[in-house]
Amino acid sequence: MSENKRCPEETKPGVATNRRDFLKQSAAFVGAAVSFGVVGVILPDDVLGVETVAYDWNKHRWVYLVDTTKCIGCGACVRACRAENDVPEHMYRTWIERYEIAVEGEAHVDSPEGGEFGFHPLTSGMEIRKAFFVPKLCNHCEATPCTQVCPVGASYTTRDGAVLVDDKRCIGCGYCIQACPYGSRYLNPQTRTAGKCTWCYHRVTEGLEPACVAVCPVGARIFGDRKNPDDSINEILATKRVQVLQPELLTKPQCFYLGLDMEVR
Amino acid sequence: MEPNSPLRHTKHVFRVGLLLLAAIVALILGRSFFVPETFGQYGSYRGGNVSEQAAHQVRHGGRQSCEPCHADEFEEQTAGGHRAVTCEVCHAPVSLHARNDEKIADMPMHRSADLCLLCHQELKARPGSQPQIQPRQHLEENGGEPGPESCFECHEPHSPL
Repeated sequence: MSENKRCPEETKPGVATNRRDFLKQSAAFVGAAVSFGVVGVILPDDVLGVETVAYDWNKHRWVYLVDTTKCIGCGACVRACRAENDVPEHMYRTWIERYEIAVEGEAHVDSPEGGEFGFHPLTSGMEIRKAFFVPKLCNHCEATPCTQVCPVGASYTTRDGAVLVDDKRCIGCGYCIQACPYGSRYLNPQTRTAGKCTWCYHRVTEGLEPACVAVCPVGARIFGDRKNPDDSINEILATKRVQVLQPELLTKPQCFYLGLDMEVR
Repeated sequence: MEPNSPLRHTKHVFRVGLLLLAAIVALILGRSFFVPETFGQYGSYRGGNVSEQAAHQVRHGGRQSCEPCHADEFEEQTAGGHRAVTCEVCHAPVSLHARNDEKIADMPMHRSADLCLLCHQELKARPGSQPQIQPRQHLEENGGEPGPESCFECHEPHSPL
């Protein structure tokens, strides 16, 4: 505080001394910037090695398929996702919604704890015409609004199709969370950065399926590679009647659905 | 220098040039300080993050990671009615239990009806092909005692029915 008060008086007497001080301070700043710049920027990449991944992302184009007619709502995918990716409590990278549609057409939708601990019978008293589960996750849209709004380039799409968040760049502003029409993103309360489904990028690049796909006991979740002609997902996408969520938004979701109903958004 | 010399303003031009040079140097240094090295390598994001993402530890090893130590359970499980359910669905990710072929902690054994009911509680939203029960009715019909481990009185979880 005292130094701040002294400053205005010292600036008055002579211009020359101040310029000298200014130059001295500038030189000190530039010196510090140079040393920090060299050490801080070059070191991490020397240590991490950018090109250490043997996996070639140009040879893959990942897509996801959900067969809602098979889902039993057990929540194994939600639990596996949390364990695999350290997802904080009450946040979800994938979740299951239950739709119960009454004879009169009224729809009841719920997702207790994201379906993580299963579902209990509903006693709404309504006469149910049809009911089904819909697992949801990030759609990894090809024309995604979430990466467009990121002001610091923390959110991006990889060449093999995954939409990821760089948690070292993310400033936690939350624009992407608001931009996502599917509610697929959350703000991690511990790191204060945006979190979302990565399609288990660390598993996919090792030749494994995403954790949710690997644990699904009924095969309701399918992961595949559009660039691999032998992948069975291409046969399904080519011959079955698939849909995406909210196609009117033109986000080009890369997560496809079998057996969607009108009520599902 | 002569007062009327055509070079009498040179020093001013020289000063402006110096200032410009200093500004350019400051810009380059500032950029290298604030912009991460791999930013822009593949697009307008930090290219180094791709390999950082891929380096995250794999937690679920799948059934093949259990087989080497638990061959009997593996054989029984893959032949039974629960063959579509991998070990880690009911137990826990293998990374909590073993690392580098060494056991690091006990694997949880959930002997609870709640675990079974995650898949087998009768729900309207479940496909008809899924085996489902109403727990109380099922116990009454089959003479079971209600309790947290009631399912295991009749069913072997690795190979039920």
